[in-house]
Amino acid sequence: MAGIWIFAEKREQALELLNIGRRLAAKTGTAVSALLPGNPDAARDYIAHGADEVLLLPPLAADQSCEAYLPVIVEEAKTADPDVFLCAATPRGKELAARIAARLETGLCSSCIALNYDEGGKNLEMERIAYGGAAIQKVTCLTRPVMATIPPRTFEPVTAEAGREGHIRKLPAPPPSRVRVLERKVRTRETRDITEAKVVIAVGRGFEKPEDLALARQLADALGGEIGCTRPISEENHWLPQELCIGLSGIQIKPDLYLGLGVSGQIQHVTGIRNAKVIAAVNKDENAPIFGVADFGIVGDLYDAAPKLLQELKRGS
Amino acid sequence: MPTIIACFKWVIDEAYIRRGFSGDLDFSSVDYKISDYDRNAIEEAVRLKGSHGGSVIAMTVGTPEATKGVKDALSRGPDQACFIADADFNKLEPSQTAAILADVIRSRIVNYDLILCGEGSSDLYAQQVGARLAEHLEIPCISFVQKVDIDGGQVVAERRVEEGIEIVAAPLPALVTVLPEINVPRIPGVKDTLTASKKPVMTIRKGDLAPLGGARLQTVGMTAARMDRICEKFGTEAAEITRFVDALRKKAVIS
Ligand SMILES: Cc1cc2nc3c(=O)[nH]c(=O)nc-3n(C[C@H](O)[C@H](O)[C@H](O)COP(=O)(O)OP(=O)(O)OC[C@H]3O[C@@H](n4cnc5c(N)ncnc54)[C@H](O)[C@@H]3O)c2cc1C
Ligand SMILES: Nc1ncnc2c1ncn2[C@@H]1O[C@H](COP(=O)(O)O)[C@@H](O)[C@H]1O
Repeated sequence: MAGIWIFAEKREQALELLNIGRRLAAKTGTAVSALLPGNPDAARDYIAHGADEVLLLPPLAADQSCEAYLPVIVEEAKTADPDVFLCAATPRGKELAARIAARLETGLCSSCIALNYDEGGKNLEMERIAYGGAAIQKVTCLTRPVMATIPPRTFEPVTAEAGREGHIRKLPAPPPSRVRVLERKVRTRETRDITEAKVVIAVGRGFEKPEDLALARQLADALGGEIGCTRPISEENHWLPQELCIGLSGIQIKPDLYLGLGVSGQIQHVTGIRNAKVIAAVNKDENAPIFGVADFGIVGDLYDAAPKLLQELKRGS
Repeated sequence: MPTIIACFKWVIDEAYIRRGFSGDLDFSSVDYKISDYDRNAIEEAVRLKGSHGGSVIAMTVGTPEATKGVKDALSRGPDQACFIADADFNKLEPSQTAAILADVIRSRIVNYDLILCGEGSSDLYAQQVGARLAEHLEIPCISFVQKVDIDGGQVVAERRVEEGIEIVAAPLPALVTVLPEINVPRIPGVKDTLTASKKPVMTIRKGDLAPLGGARLQTVGMTAARMDRICEKFGTEAAEITRFVDALRKKAVIS
C-alpha cells in the first residue's frame, strides 16, 4: 500500500503526524500507514485518529533503543514503497530518519515546519529554517520516498473520527543491535506547556546564579505568565529544564508578550519568538542584538530594572 | 591507540547575514567560521587523544576558500587534516556530503576507530550528515552525546533522548555526534596557529573521488526571515520604567 507513512515515539506526536498524513492522503488519494512501536493496544486508537493501516513494531529487548527498528522499517519500506515518510523530530526520531533516508537512498527535509503541494500538485514543497533562523529554506525531494522530520508541536493533533476502520499488521522483531543500552536515567518532564502561555519571561545568561531566577519568577507571576530560557541556561547550566529552552533547537512560542532578561538575542534564540505579538527585553549592553528585534527594550542592568518593573506593575494594577 | 576523525564544516557566520530589499539574503558582509558545534567535536577528539593516545584527523568537505578553516581546525589540536575541496562544494546537500566523506574515509583512512561529528551544522542544521555517514560505512551510530569515552574496543556514551539519558556502548569503529555541552572548545593562541601551519594536510579534489550522485533534496527557495519590530529603547529611571510599562499596556499585552 503506497501512501503516507508516519513514525513517532509517542502518541501525541503521532497524532500531529496523522493530521498532516490525512491532509496529504486526501490530496493524493492514498492511504496513511502508522508505525507503532511497542504498544499494540494503541493500534485501534491510531486507526480512529486517521491511520488506514497500523504496522506494529514488536517491543524491544531491554538493552535496545528505538533505532533498533531501523532494519525492520527499512525492509518494510522497500516492499511497500511509500510516497511520503514523516517522522517526529525527537532526538532518536531524527537519527532514525537520517539513517532510514541513507538506506533508502532518498532525501530528507529535517525539522520541517510547513508542507504544501506546488501548483501542479506534483511536488511536495517543504519549509525549514536555515542559517540559525536568519532564513527560510524551501526544498523538494527528488527521490522516493519524500522524507521529513517534524518538530513536536508544530502541527495540531488530529481529532478522532467514529467508525473508522483499518488494518493492523505485525512486523518482525528487530535483530540484536550493536548499540547496547547499559543504563537509563529517566527525567521527570516539566508538565507546564509554555507554548500556550500569554506571557513568557525568558531567562538568559545575564543571570549570575540560579537563585536569582526568583526575579524572573516574580515577574512571571505578576503578569500571569511562565518562564522560558536560552539554551545555555538549560543545557549548560542546567538551571531550568530542557523543555523550556526557546529557539532553533528548543521550542517555538507565540505569546502576547515575550520579555527577555539578560538575553543577547542571537538568531538561534530569536527564531523561536518570531510569532510573539510584542517582544521586550532588558539588557545592559545597548548594542545587544536583542534590541534590533525587540519592540521595547530597556537598556540597563536586569538586577536594577526587574525589581523596578515589578513595583511598577504592582502600582498600576 | 585510537585514530579519531573529527568532521567539521566551514560555514558562513549567520550573525552577519542581512535581509536584502526584496527579502533575499544579503551575504555581502559575511565572515566565515568553523561550524559552532564542530568546535566541540574537534575538542572532544583531542581530549580523547589526550587520555588514550593515538591521533586525530580533522576532515572537511568544502570550497577551496575553506583552507582558512583547515588552519583554524589544526590550531585546535588535531595532528593532520584531510581537505576535500571543490568550487562546487558549497551547494552540497547532506546526502552528498555524507557520501563524499564516506568515500574518502573508506578509500584513504586505514583503521580509524572513532568518527566525531557535531550535533548539527550552523548553516543547514540538518542533523543528518553524521547519521548518514555511519550508514554508508556500516558502523554503529550514537547521536546527541553529552559524554563519551573509549573503553577497550568499545565506545561508551551518554546520550540525550526524549525521556532523559541513555548510557550506551558500541563496538569500534563507531560514529558519535556531540552536543555542545560535552566540553568547552579552546581558543587557539598564536603558538597554536604557528604549529598548525606545519601540520600535514591531505588535499583531495573532486576528480579523485567516485562520481558524485545528484542532489536528492533540492533547494527551491531561500528567503530572509522577517523580523520587523518597533525597536524603541528605554532607560531604567522611574519615569522610563513607567513609560515602558505603559507601552506594554497600550499594546494590550498586559493588563
Ligand atoms: C545550531 C545552534 C542551535 C542553537 N539553538 C539555540 C536555541 O534553540 N535556543 C537558544 O537560546 N540558543 C540556541 N543556540 C545558542 C545561541 O546561539 C546563543 O549562544 C544563546 O542563545 C545565547 O544565550 P544567552 O543570550 O543567554 O547568553 P549570552 O549570549 O551570553 O548573552 C547574555 C546577555 O546578557 C547580558 N547581560 C549580562 N549581564 C547582565 C545584567 N546584569 N543585566 C542585563 N543584561 C545582562 C549581556 O549583555 C548579554 O547580551 C544555538 C546555537 C547553535 C549554533
Ligand atoms: N561539509 C562538511 N564537511 C565535513 N563535515 C561535515 C560537513 N557538513 C556536515 N558535517 C558534519 O556533520 C555534522 C552535521 O551536519 P548537518 O547534517 O549539516 O547538520 C556537522 O556538525 C559536521 O560534523
